[in-house]
Amino acid sequence: MSSVKRWFVTTNHKDIGILYTITALFFLVLGGVLAMLMRVQLWSPGAGVLSAGAYNQAVSAHGLLMVFWFISPFAFGFANYLVPLQIGADDLAFPRLNAMSYWAYLFSGLLFIASFFQGGTFDGGWTMYAPLNLPTYMPNIGGTTVVLALIMFIAAVTMGSVNFLTTMYRMRAEGLRMRDLPMFSMSILLTVWMMLFAFAALLAALMILAAEHLFGVTYFSAEGGTLLWTHLFWFFGHPEVYIVFFPALGIMAECFQTFTGQRIVGRKWFVLAMVLVALQSFVVWMHHMFLTGINLEIKTLFMVTTIGISLPFDLMVFSLIYTMIKGRIRFTTPFLFSLGALILFIIGGITGVFLGAVVLDYEFRGTYWVVAHFHYVMVGGATGLFAGVYYWFPKMTGRMYDETLGKLHFALYFVGFNLLYFPLFVAWETPRRVFDYAPGLTSWHQVASIGGFVLGASFLVMFYNLFKSMAVGEEVGDNPWEYSTTAEWAVSSPPPLENFPGKPSYASGELSFRDEPELTADGSGDGKPVVSVSPRSDGGVASGASETSSGPRSDGGSVRTEGATAGGGTGLVGGTGTATPAAAGTATTHGEERHADHASFWPFVVCFAGFLTFLGVSGIRSGGVYPGLTAVGAVLSAVGFVGFANESFYVPEPTVAEQWPFGGVENMKLGMWTFLASDVVLFGGFVGSYLFLRVANGWMHWHHAFIPEAHVTFPGLVNTYLLLASSFAVVLSLVAAHRNSSRGVVASLTVTWLLGVGFLINKGMEWQHLFHISTEAFPNGWAVGTNVASSTFYLTTGLHGAHVIVGLVMLLYMIPRAWRGAYLDDDSSLEYFGLYWHFVDIVWLFLFPLFYIL
Amino acid sequence: MSRFKLYTGIFVVLMALSTTQALVERTGLVDFDAPGTYWTAFGVILALSFVKATFVATYYMHLRWEPRSVTYLFLGGLFVALALTTAAAYSIL
Ligand SMILES: [Cu+2]
Repeated sequence: MSSVKRWFVTTNHKDIGILYTITALFFLVLGGVLAMLMRVQLWSPGAGVLSAGAYNQAVSAHGLLMVFWFISPFAFGFANYLVPLQIGADDLAFPRLNAMSYWAYLFSGLLFIASFFQGGTFDGGWTMYAPLNLPTYMPNIGGTTVVLALIMFIAAVTMGSVNFLTTMYRMRAEGLRMRDLPMFSMSILLTVWMMLFAFAALLAALMILAAEHLFGVTYFSAEGGTLLWTHLFWFFGHPEVYIVFFPALGIMAECFQTFTGQRIVGRKWFVLAMVLVALQSFVVWMHHMFLTGINLEIKTLFMVTTIGISLPFDLMVFSLIYTMIKGRIRFTTPFLFSLGALILFIIGGITGVFLGAVVLDYEFRGTYWVVAHFHYVMVGGATGLFAGVYYWFPKMTGRMYDETLGKLHFALYFVGFNLLYFPLFVAWETPRRVFDYAPGLTSWHQVASIGGFVLGASFLVMFYNLFKSMAVGEEVGDNPWEYSTTAEWAVSSPPPLENFPGKPSYASGELSFRDEPELTADGSGDGKPVVSVSPRSDGGVASGASETSSGPRSDGGSVRTEGATAGGGTGLVGGTGTATPAAAGTATTHGEERHADHASFWPFVVCFAGFLTFLGVSGIRSGGVYPGLTAVGAVLSAVGFVGFANESFYVPEPTVAEQWPFGGVENMKLGMWTFLASDVVLFGGFVGSYLFLRVANGWMHWHHAFIPEAHVTFPGLVNTYLLLASSFAVVLSLVAAHRNSSRGVVASLTVTWLLGVGFLINKGMEWQHLFHISTEAFPNGWAVGTNVASSTFYLTTGLHGAHVIVGLVMLLYMIPRAWRGAYLDDDSSLEYFGLYWHFVDIVWLFLFPLFYIL
Repeated sequence: MSRFKLYTGIFVVLMALSTTQALVERTGLVDFDAPGTYWTAFGVILALSFVKATFVATYYMHLRWEPRSVTYLFLGGLFVALALTTAAAYSIL
């Protein structure tokens, strides 16, 4: 396979990790250039190099690109590369989904870039506040494209979250308990949990916003609409702070352990504090809304929860400080960046408390205090990620970076950063998002601009260092760091395609590589496994590596031969093979099956098709090339999905793995449930928006003023019957498969399909009727944009209808397969489809009363 | 065989409960000019929806036969959605 082609078809987690990292760095440069433009503009008050509109675009695009397309994907580059290695898995649970996640991320970013060329990109600030985000104030097609780009980005995030959660719960090496995950993996686990729910809420907000631009619904311009946007946005936006910061925290913890030779002090409490913060992050969002019309009691409540969230962080900070005190520090580049991140985070945290207090927030909101605080926290997080670059560079490339250049990068970075952001605290009276400011603040802004360029220049040093070292850096072995303990350091650098020589196991308390069962069964298991370090399952310091640890250190290469002969060792590869892995080079069919060629071109195709479709949709109302682009994108999407579904792609599930608390739930099923959990939040966002707007407009008034007489219960009831019957039919298909009746399966799936089509026809007739009613109150019918009630009705039930359509498309794929006898031996596909279909049914069970009866 | 009977029984219950919801509307309890009866009907109708949803999730989606953790995962999503809705609606009361 040619080396260029390889990157388009790869599904290996390490390749995808590298793709993520490089792409994220590209967006860092793009966002950084925009920031430089802003700092040039701010050199003196008043007009400068940018026009007012261009400045607004630069501010908005810088914020959105850095928050979405740089920082989290950068962290997920490391997560992709390292989490499977740290937990002892061969790959992620769904390798093609992982590739798809990457391509969706890349193409969403390209969509963003395209928006610059559509008459101007989004210019309403990264918080996208309503009503500025509405088409009235943002008529550019580019503004719509950015909303669609964000939707595509969230698709990528959701695929990633589902994949990581399934992997981390189902594919850990034997003996690796959840609580013992290495710190970085632990931080990623909590991050993806937050992502799963927070991004689903943002998705709801963005889908509504896209519908405002494309279909003319009126949510955010309605009574209470601007407040609705802030609720939806900050319900995502606050957890996002921790989504961004947690991976950095994980890297910092790893680096502190490695470079002080000291296990994190109070590790258990550290982890508990992180869990607490992750939960609490969802109940503090209204601290961004102290200046809106929400009531005083709830402001006070949210002030309390906000200040409360600093307590677990205090614990983490002290734990890191004590780790340094107790250990022996070696000031390598990764450690310097970790320490720098800690210092910046402390400053960012303290200045944040000012904003969390209602009274002070009245003074500081909308000023550069917020800008400075926010950058200390977010860029502080990025600092931790750069620690990760240096820390894992030798693992990813097999070569060492240049330590002197690394330290130079840190020095320039740290000085530049503080020169840039600290003056902004002093010049806090500068109004946020505006390029004009009081002339008395000029010198502070000039210092900041100089700092900005120093910070930017520091990256030239980094890029030079990394490029040079990749080619001529000193070659390192498996483990260049003396006290590193996590499993990625136990394999060669860079790690082999299949990650581990044999099956990793922590059953003895230390990492060992258990041989393939056949090998040990015939007594030849000695010598093969190699353990170069002896990581403990919890990523603590290796036994014997520091004076504080206890316990005798067994010889590195302990092999659990006894386990292999016992039942636990059988069936690792389906128990069919007779080939010995030692002879893997002879490539028996067995071996090929095990390390199946996971390359797939379809993730790229599907996401490219998505890119075309979204680009087309962005301007579909303005004609030109856009409808054509949409059509081409739609056709290519269809081709892509069919190709994707028809490709045989075999991923063995580990038979010996820790799977608490999801033992007995196959990967696919757990993935489906995880996806559905996020879908609950998506629908929750839509239904919640409806309820919120209805409360804002007067619950009873809503019915009297906005709903036509013709909107009656009966069509909804019919649809309820149809959906319930279709659910029953899906269940019957399982019964039929159980009875080995191929005709039964086909019949029940066909009935499901017909009932679903009936549902859509009934809904279509109802909508047609409502669109065209002509009454005194609604002389022009009750259309999508007639009022807030019609908007919420059509959009929410429309989203549900779209779910039905997706289900029907899946059935069109499944029915012919059932006809050819599929699903009789293995009915799991029927079950997974059923989970989706029943969920759509459940949603309707609530939409029916809320939109038809009450 | 027994599963088939169980599924059928549940289907009948689900259809009956849906009909009940519509009947509650027909009895005039859902009167937008009489808050007293309206909110009673509101409670009854939504409670019925929750009962139906529980039946579908428990039996048709087999939650009953999965580890409890899967239910918690689903309830976690529901809890997040409810927390957002309730707090947001409360903030403007
Ligand atoms: Cu916040």
